[in-house]
Amino acid sequence: MWTIIKNEIHFLCRNRAMLMISFGFIVVLLISVFLGIKQAEEQEKIYQEAKTHLRSQWVSIKEMNPHSAAHYGTYVFKPTNLLSSLDEGVNSVTGNVLRVEGHVQNEIVHSEASQMISVSKFGKLKSSLLLKFIVPLLLIFLAFYSVSSEKQSGRLKLLILQGAKPFYIVLSKTIAVWFYGFILLSIVVLSYTLLNLSNSTSETFLRLSLLFLSYAIYYFILIGLTIYFSTRWLRTTIALTSMLGIWMIWSVFLPNILMSSVEKWHPLPSRAEFKTAMIEDRSKGIDGHNPSDARGEELKEKVLKEYGVDSISKLPINFDGIRMQADEDYGNIVWDKHFGNLRKVQKKQKEAFQLGGIVNPFISLQNTSMGFAGNDNLHHQEFLVQVENYRRDLIKALNNEHAFGGSKTGNWGWTANNDFYKSIPDFAYKSVALTSVLSNYVLDIALLLGWLIFILLLLIRGAKKMQVI
Amino acid sequence: MIELKGVSKSFKGAIAVKDFSLTIGKGEILGLLGANGAGKSTTINMLLGFIQPDSGDINIKGIDVIKESGETRKLIGYIPENVSLYPYLSGLENLDYFCRLAGFVYSMGELTDFLTKCGLQTEAHNRSVSGYSKGMRQKVGIAIAYAKKAQVYLLDEPASGLDPLASNELSALLKSLASEGASIIMASHDIFRVREVCNRIGILKKGTLVKEFLSDDVSANELEQLYLEYMKN
Repeated sequence: MWTIIKNEIHFLCRNRAMLMISFGFIVVLLISVFLGIKQAEEQEKIYQEAKTHLRSQWVSIKEMNPHSAAHYGTYVFKPTNLLSSLDEGVNSVTGNVLRVEGHVQNEIVHSEASQMISVSKFGKLKSSLLLKFIVPLLLIFLAFYSVSSEKQSGRLKLLILQGAKPFYIVLSKTIAVWFYGFILLSIVVLSYTLLNLSNSTSETFLRLSLLFLSYAIYYFILIGLTIYFSTRWLRTTIALTSMLGIWMIWSVFLPNILMSSVEKWHPLPSRAEFKTAMIEDRSKGIDGHNPSDARGEELKEKVLKEYGVDSISKLPINFDGIRMQADEDYGNIVWDKHFGNLRKVQKKQKEAFQLGGIVNPFISLQNTSMGFAGNDNLHHQEFLVQVENYRRDLIKALNNEHAFGGSKTGNWGWTANNDFYKSIPDFAYKSVALTSVLSNYVLDIALLLGWLIFILLLLIRGAKKMQVI
Repeated sequence: MIELKGVSKSFKGAIAVKDFSLTIGKGEILGLLGANGAGKSTTINMLLGFIQPDSGDINIKGIDVIKESGETRKLIGYIPENVSLYPYLSGLENLDYFCRLAGFVYSMGELTDFLTKCGLQTEAHNRSVSGYSKGMRQKVGIAIAYAKKAQVYLLDEPASGLDPLASNELSALLKSLASEGASIIMASHDIFRVREVCNRIGILKKGTLVKEFLSDDVSANELEQLYLEYMKN
């Protein structure tokens, strides 16, 4: 088997056209890695500058009423991920700025896609674009030629006559072409690692290894299937056309068709419906700005009883702060309910989409590639949750200061000093643990491995049924 | 060495080979003459184990080709009309590759000797075979069979398209192999080359072996007359 693999590698090394194509591919891949890293660095720089600027604005508040500060709010920026230079996943469409303020949970805005000129909306030149769409095409042509040339030239007969087992021939050819894909993949990963050595952590390497593994398995699946087709069909053009058709269905049509179907099976409410439902539920709570609100009255009675006084003016604290926090707490419950439902639907959608990997391993690759790169919906949702938690802590701290910082009810002119504002921590994002990522994509990994076994069985069958003459 | 007993084969009802029986001994060269579609290539492919006969027995050195094609293939060297080699490898590298597949690992010196023995000029050994003539590629093909210690050589239209010198060299090489004990079957249209090289000649017509005789029993002209006669009838 090794003899055949070695001979295939000889072909790749000695064929001038192949060398030129490989050189071109390697240059483009290296450019994509370099540009990806440059873009990520640029984004990180902008992110850090904006973050520092906003923090300095916040800590330089000299004197301000805490509730005014809650309305003044701040902005949280989605941090760039080191591996986004390889696969930016959903990041270009999800937005990266979120305004954090009292009373309201804002939506994340300013997606890159919304700010690009139309031609750029096809996506930036990222390594994942080449590794997912272009390299597979090259591998299909190579794998196809690898067997068809043996059949057409009549060498296949000679190979078998010399004692080469048909299964070893097809497996060796699959491995040889896969090795070529492996080299292209390694060039991307190694150049990325070398250029990011100082910024990388052990988790980065682990994520990178898993990303590498997903692509390596997918390439084997694609090459194995191409080899199978070329062994089974006598007319080589039919075999090649079929494989190109499969590539197109797998990587272009099926993901879109499946996503549309999944959205129909598990529909999300429209933005208008969602907002209306939120407003309706929110209206059942306390109006933090309306002292005569009925539910506010109940809270007032409760607080007066707690402090043993009969009027708000006798309270040693500022009741406005308590009422506003109660309003926030209720708002949070409403948010949790509606966003919880939204998440449940999204989870169902994700699970149904993952099952698409049964018929399309590209879906599993797409999921794992984004997931291990840390730019999938799981990471995005985690960011939103962390921002919301930060918002809640921030507003609670401001309301508490308003209530217990020394002011009296109705004293909207009271201000907290700079020390208080400085004491409020900045937002710090904690990335999703790799174990969570793995558990989220265990199905995709299992499906890729399932496909790998299926392809090996297909190759055994293809070898048995191979048309030698 | 080679034995075919009542072998028949048809494809979708069309008879390719019918009740074919033949025995070829050690050191014998049998020439199979016949028009296109006479069943020459089908017979060779059945001997190679790539086509299963519908009926009959095929044995090589007493081993059943149908049941143990893996074993009989070890004994066979096959030289098609166009020996297709890997164009990016040299003659030596091609020989080395095919020998390794057959489980033989030779030194460079030994490989060079094989190519030289089969008539390939020394200066061509290390050249890429993409620049080889048809005759040169055939010599490498025969060297591949020779290096794997083939005892049976099956040649399908080997002289077609060869220039007279290359054709003559091929004849000499086949005779030399036979003198070393190889059994050779050569399917061809070339009456004169077959008459010159082979000990025995068989004429195939529509899958049936219609005539078999010793080549010494007929002159080249008589053979041509005989062949045309059979083809016309």
